[in-house]
Amino acid sequence: MEIDLAGAAITLDGETNPIVDAVLAALRANGGHVVEGVPPRAAADILLISCPLRSGTKAGDPRSLYADARKAAVTMTERGGRIIFLISAVAGMPMRRHPRFSMENASILAGMRALAMEFGPRILVNAVGFGAVEDDTIVSGDKAMLSHTPVGRAGRIDEAVAAVLFFCDPLNSYTTGQMLGVDGGWAAGYGRNF
Amino acid sequence: MRCDLSDRVALVTGAAGAIGSAIAKRLSDNGAAVVVADIDIGGAERVAAGLRNAMACALDIRNAQSVDAAIASVSERYGRLDILVNNAGVNTLAHRVTIDEFPPEEWDRITGIDLDGLYIMSRAALAPMLAAGRGGRIVNIASVVGLAAMRLQSPFVAAKAAIVHLTRSMAIELGAKGILTNAIAPGSVMTALTAKLFYNDDGKFAGRTQEFLAHVPLGRPARPEEIAEAVLFLASPAASYINGQVLAVDGGWTTGYMM
Repeated sequence: MEIDLAGAAITLDGETNPIVDAVLAALRANGGHVVEGVPPRAAADILLISCPLRSGTKAGDPRSLYADARKAAVTMTERGGRIIFLISAVAGMPMRRHPRFSMENASILAGMRALAMEFGPRILVNAVGFGAVEDDTIVSGDKAMLSHTPVGRAGRIDEAVAAVLFFCDPLNSYTTGQMLGVDGGWAAGYGRNF
Repeated sequence: MRCDLSDRVALVTGAAGAIGSAIAKRLSDNGAAVVVADIDIGGAERVAAGLRNAMACALDIRNAQSVDAAIASVSERYGRLDILVNNAGVNTLAHRVTIDEFPPEEWDRITGIDLDGLYIMSRAALAPMLAAGRGGRIVNIASVVGLAAMRLQSPFVAAKAAIVHLTRSMAIELGAKGILTNAIAPGSVMTALTAKLFYNDDGKFAGRTQEFLAHVPLGRPARPEEIAEAVLFLASPAASYINGQVLAVDGGWTTGYMM
């Protein structure tokens, strides 16, 4: 897929990982340019907020993430823009073995939705919720997810990137406050024949 | 976005209407051959005539014979079907009443088209998809009322909520066969029909419109093209790990309470 970012300034808050690296490369390839720093220290049209994605890690303090994202949104309001949270699909479907990770992601999701309500229509705020994604190793979720994933495999990096591009696309202009899962159907229901 | 659907055949139901025709155009503009299917064959023909590679098709999704005939005509013309967009649906303006007063025949009409019709259409369309073994995409057009209930339209609310969950059910049944099923839940969309409801004669939003738009963070209704853009993404090769999702394209309406 191709989108036209027309020189949009892109900035990253949070950790890098293979998905984020590929997202930034794709955004550059589609006409965006990546700037250092995050609002309010840097002007940006698109702010990516990258959270740890592997099950069992700490997703981060949702209150700090929300506060930082809100500060950035205030700065971005005049020129308008997009904020996209990169989080785990456990935000919408908690995992028994990872209660803290599930709670943190769910809380980040709630904060994302509150930001969407507060900063619309100038800023569209959305999230991508990644299920099991791997390149050579798992970079999001974990192998246990695969037993419940209807398509029967982990996602690829390029498949993870596509959803982020969708939320950055200027033509996708009426979607805000949403989490789009990229999980092969993991969160849709019981992927088993009972 | 732009993507390459040049080897794909898509069938869009309700494609003579504002949203359906926008979806058909967006898929066509990205290379798909499009079957413009509608109970209004004249409208379908007009839409198809404006597309690069399209055929109009008379289709009543309540009627299995009509649906089978439509699928047969697609097979005859294109020899394949890759994308089904279940867009056809109805609601009522004449019966804005609570459930205790809701006429049973109107309940049957709405659920018969919105829910039963989607089942009849999907069942028939899956036959050639599964037989070909190339996988496929189904995009169901639900509604925000399937996510957050609204008053005075109980059959529409029930049918759209059913579509939301049916989408997930289809996703976990069909995902292993390479057929990905997702849904779009549009909020208010500005069309020629809804414009009459949204605007006063002076061109300003009516009071009731302003009231509900106060609950929409983006503060306006959608354009049909904005719904079509999301459908295009879910139908595109790029969305190959997205399955069982219900994406609200609603300007944030169902994000939370604006209070």
